[in-house]
Amino acid sequence: MLSTRFIGWLRRYEKWFGIAAVILMVIGLYTGLVTSSADYYQGEVVRIMYVHVPFAQTAMFAYSTLFFCSIWYLWKRDPIVDNAAHAAAGIALFFTAGGLLTGSIWGKPTWNTWWTWDPRLTSFAILFLTLVGYLMLRTFLDDKEKRATFGAILAIIGFIDLPIVHFSVEWWRSLHQPLSVSTRGVSIAADMALPLSLMSIGFTLLFTYMLMVRTQMLYLEYLLEAKQGRLMSEERL
Amino acid sequence: MRSVCEIGLKYRILPEGDPLKGLYLRWAVLLSLFGVIGLLGWGRYNREVRAQEPKALLKISSGSDLRVIGRIEGGSLVRGSEGKPFEFTLSGEGEQVSVNFMGEDQDTLRELKTIVVIGSWDGENRHFKAKEIALIPNYDFITWAYLTSLIPLAFFIFRMERKVALLYIMIKEEKAYQRENLS
Repeated sequence: MLSTRFIGWLRRYEKWFGIAAVILMVIGLYTGLVTSSADYYQGEVVRIMYVHVPFAQTAMFAYSTLFFCSIWYLWKRDPIVDNAAHAAAGIALFFTAGGLLTGSIWGKPTWNTWWTWDPRLTSFAILFLTLVGYLMLRTFLDDKEKRATFGAILAIIGFIDLPIVHFSVEWWRSLHQPLSVSTRGVSIAADMALPLSLMSIGFTLLFTYMLMVRTQMLYLEYLLEAKQGRLMSEERL
Repeated sequence: MRSVCEIGLKYRILPEGDPLKGLYLRWAVLLSLFGVIGLLGWGRYNREVRAQEPKALLKISSGSDLRVIGRIEGGSLVRGSEGKPFEFTLSGEGEQVSVNFMGEDQDTLRELKTIVVIGSWDGENRHFKAKEIALIPNYDFITWAYLTSLIPLAFFIFRMERKVALLYIMIKEEKAYQRENLS
């Protein structure tokens, strides 16, 4: 009953997140690709930032969502929260892969290499592997309760990697550029900060929209499976 | 006891009309919108970024606001001082053009470095007068970064939305939403 009400709520409000995300991303892409200036050191290739940074930020935001949903699930044991955690993990994996891919493409013209065992890159690759592990664990376990519990524990342990990803450029010597926005201030030109902010907020809204759709998808799959299973067992009787 | 169908209708989780039709229409609009931005980006690339090789430049008699990409030949760079311009030879595709640049010294101006010079061309004297120096655009990397991330993202969301729409249809058709207390 609570799940049905929650799914109904998701269905009613998801479109607003989707519309807001599209508007911000359209303006962000336009300003990023057409009107913003090139960088003094990197030239035109800096435009990769407007897709790479939002991908990486959204991956970390998605993992944080997975972390909080996992804690909530272990506390309340609400199956719809487990659905949301599972949905967040799938989306986080997608954005992490996108962050690694766009970063690799950006690395070639700026560092002259597709990949290097830099602290930021390595910790981000660990995040990717943690998410693969989380989804594999869920696939291998048949019992729904065990799947949700062990998955939540793994997601909470894996959260240790998130601050390492974020502060790796401060803690160790890194090829990766340091934080553009920190307590020390903002070290990015205004005409570059605008598309970057629009894309980052747009991607966060897009993630929220995707989470709402995917949570519904997983819930409906489960519901259909359960209903079909029940109907089949009734036919057998 | 109320059926799941009744609850579903109350909380509007069962869609009205054909959900797939709306989905395809929405995606057609979205793709058109992003297609327009792609075209604007492509237009800007042709207008402000695309550069030609010295070989292509030699076929033109003269022109202004031209962009030429090439490598600064080793030993050819003469640094300008006190009002004198920088002078160097730019090479590419087996052809060379002499360039002078009146402007501030910058990191980009190094021998054996590939750069883009922006300025006017005098075909008679085979001389290029640069007013600006830029880094190589690497637009192929930018294009690949956007295409390899945004196309899969769109495909991922489309598949997800389509699956949700199909699941609602299946639930309707399978009559999975019916009274819980069937006997």
